[in-house]
Amino acid sequence: MCLAFPGKIISIKKNSAMVDFDGIKKEINISLTPEVKKNDYVVVHTGFAIQKMGKQEAKEALKIAF
Amino acid sequence: MKKVDNLTITLDHGSGGYASWELLKEIRQILKFKGKWQNTEDDAAVFDLGTEKLVFTTDAFIIDPIFFQGGDIGKIAICGTINDLSVMGAKPLGISLSIVIEEGFSRIDLMKIISSINKISFQSGVPIVTGDTKVLEKGKIDKIEITTAGTGLAKRIIQNNGAMIGDSIIASGDLGEHTVAVLSKRFNYQTNIKSDSKPLNQELELVGKYLNACKDPTRGGLSANIVEIAKKSKVKIILDEKLLPYKKETIALSELLGIDFFSFASEGRFISSVSSKNVNKVLKILKKFNQEAKIIGRAEKGEGVFLKTRLGSFRPIEMPRGKLIPRIC
Amino acid sequence: MKNIIEKINKIAEKIKKDVYIMEVCGTHTEAVARYGLRELMPKNVKLTTGPGCPVCVTSQEDIDAIVNLALSGIPVATYGDMMRVPGYYGSLDQAREKGALIFAVYSIDEALTIQKKYPNLVFFGLGFETTAPMTAYAIKKGLTVYSTHKLFLPAMQALLKIGELKIDGFLCPGHVSTIIGIEPYKSMKVSQVISGFTAEDILVSVYMLLKQIFDNKKIVENEYLRSVKKEGNPKAYQEIFDVFDIANGNWRGFGIIPQSGLEIKNKYKKFNAKIKYKKILDQVDFSFSRKLTSCKCGEIIRGLKSPQECSLFKKVCTSENPIGPCMVSSEGACNVFFRYMK
Repeated sequence: MCLAFPGKIISIKKNSAMVDFDGIKKEINISLTPEVKKNDYVVVHTGFAIQKMGKQEAKEALKIAF
Repeated sequence: MKKVDNLTITLDHGSGGYASWELLKEIRQILKFKGKWQNTEDDAAVFDLGTEKLVFTTDAFIIDPIFFQGGDIGKIAICGTINDLSVMGAKPLGISLSIVIEEGFSRIDLMKIISSINKISFQSGVPIVTGDTKVLEKGKIDKIEITTAGTGLAKRIIQNNGAMIGDSIIASGDLGEHTVAVLSKRFNYQTNIKSDSKPLNQELELVGKYLNACKDPTRGGLSANIVEIAKKSKVKIILDEKLLPYKKETIALSELLGIDFFSFASEGRFISSVSSKNVNKVLKILKKFNQEAKIIGRAEKGEGVFLKTRLGSFRPIEMPRGKLIPRIC
Repeated sequence: MKNIIEKINKIAEKIKKDVYIMEVCGTHTEAVARYGLRELMPKNVKLTTGPGCPVCVTSQEDIDAIVNLALSGIPVATYGDMMRVPGYYGSLDQAREKGALIFAVYSIDEALTIQKKYPNLVFFGLGFETTAPMTAYAIKKGLTVYSTHKLFLPAMQALLKIGELKIDGFLCPGHVSTIIGIEPYKSMKVSQVISGFTAEDILVSVYMLLKQIFDNKKIVENEYLRSVKKEGNPKAYQEIFDVFDIANGNWRGFGIIPQSGLEIKNKYKKFNAKIKYKKILDQVDFSFSRKLTSCKCGEIIRGLKSPQECSLFKKVCTSENPIGPCMVSSEGACNVFFRYMK
C-alpha cells in the first residue's frame, strides 16, 4: 500500500506545493511536512508529502529508481 | 463468498486486455459467416481482388477527456482507422465518419473536432467520403462517440503472425504518450508530454515491404501487441529493460498511478518484427519520421514474452488484465 | 549491482542453512517479482511474503459492511484496488454496476472535493501508519469515514508469536517507517532491515539481513536512509492519534489482533460511519462473512502457504475473476504471482 515517490517542490502556496516527479507535476498537500521549502525533495504518498528527503539522497533515488 | 457471475459486461471487457480478447472470442463463435473475407481476427479484414487486396476496418471511439494535449477525439478517430489499414500494409482509400452526439453538446467543440479530422485527412491524403450523425437525449451518452471505418488497397498483407526467429523487434518511437496525455488531463497532472497520435500511412508505405509482422500498440499497449505477435508467430520475444521505448515522464506517471506502462496506449506508433538483413534499412527510414525509433528486443526460439531486467533476470510480460484502475495500494 | 549479488551469494554460502526472509510490505512483494529477484537469490535464501497488503488484510465483515452501505444509497469513496475485492454481497465495483455511487480516488483531498457535491459521502479508510494520517487529516476537515485502518507492528509481532512459520529476518516496510521511525521495531528480537523499493534497495537490504543472520545479530538497520529518519515524521504520527484510538483490529488471516486497529475517537463520532449509519449496519447479516471457503488468502497473508498451494489459484481464481483479495490487489501475493510467475 505504501507506494510513495520522490519529487521536487517547484512552488508552494499555503498548504499545497507543486511537485515535479521526473517531468510530471502535481499539486501535493504539505500539511504533514510544514517545514518543506521550494527546491526540497519530498516523499509523496496518496497526494501528501510524508517526509523531506536529503537532496543528495533524493538524487540518488531518482537516479536508481529506473 | 458468492461466486462472481460472468453474465454482465464489465469495464474489464473494454480494456483491450485479456477480458476483451475473451469476449471477442465468444462473439466470433456466433458470427461465423465470413464469406470470402480473410484475416477476420486481425486489425483489418482482407478481401482478395486478384492483383490487389481490399482491406477493411472499423473502430469506435469514446474518450474522457475529449480534448487533451496533442489531440482530441476526432484526431484519434481518423488516425486510428488510417493506422489499422496501414499496419496491414494497405494504402488507405477513404474513411467513413459516424458521430453520435449528446443533446447540449457545444457546437463550437463539435466543429473543433471536425476541423482536427479535416487537418489529418489533408495531411495524410486520406479523404472522409461518407458518414452519419445522430443526437441522443441528455444523459443517454457521454458527450460524443465517433465511429470510423475505412478501406484500403494492399499488394502484400503484413501479417501479425510473421515474426521469425532471429528478428529484431522495432518500435517506431517512444510509446505510451497518448495514455500519458489523457490520464494527465483526467487526473490533473501537468506535463509537457503530448499525445503521440498521428497517421502512420506515409512511413508504413516506405517500410512495409521489409516487415515480417506489424501492429500498432493502441488499447492494451505494447504488452498486448507483443504477446499477440509472439503467440501467433510461435516465437519467444525478449525485450530488454535497457532499451525500453518509454520517456522518463511516462515511467513517472505509470509509477504515480500504479498502472503498468507496458499497457499504455499509443495512437501513432507501430511495433514490427524485422529480419536482421533489413533492420538498418528500416531504422534509417523510421528515424526520418521519429528519431526515437529503435530496436527494443529480439525474437528467439520458444514461446512467451519476457523482459530481461537490468539485473539480468527475466520476468514474463503478459497481456494486460483488468481495466486501468487507479492503484494506491 | 552484479557485485551485490555476488556478495549475497558468498555470505549465503557461509551461512549454509536455509534462511527465511519475509517481505512484510506488499510494495516489496511487487518489486521482488517485477525484477525477478527470487531467481537471483541463492538456493538457501527463501523470500516469503507477509501481511503488508492493506487491501488483502481487510476483513470480510468490513467489506460486507461498506458494500451494504453503498447499496443502501450512501455514496462511497475509497482507494482503487479496494473496488474489486468481493465480499458475500459482491464488491464495490459490482455495487456500482447495480447503480450505487462509488468513487475511486488517489488522494483523500479528492474525497473531500466529492463530499462537497455529495455531503453524505463515506470514505472507506484503509491502510497502515503511512495512510492513516491523511484520513485523520480529512476527518478533522469533516469527512465521514468507515475506518479499517491498522497498525502494522502488531501484525509482525503476531507472526513471530504464532511460531508456525520460520522467520529469520524481516524486510521492514519503508514507508510505514517513514512515519513511525526506527524505535518501535526494536521491541522485536529478530533481524530487521528497513528497505527502500528499488531492486537495488531490496538487494542491499537482503545482503544486510544475511550479514546480521551470519553474525547472529538481531537488530534494526535502516537501508532506506533517504526517506526514513530515526524519529520518523512525528507530526504525521501525532495526527493519527489526534483522531483515532487504538482498538482491536480485525485482520483477514489473523482474526482479531489486540491493539492493532484504529477506531475514530468519540470526539469525532459525528464523522464515524460505523456510528452514523449504525441502523443500516445492524440490519446486515454478517453470518456469511465468516463462512470459510477454500480461498487460502488467510494462510498466504501469514506466509504459511504460497499462492500455488491454493487449489483455486489460476483455476477458479484469476485476476479477472478474483475470489479473494490477494488476487485483487496489485500487491497481493496471488496477483503478483499470477502476473509475474511462469
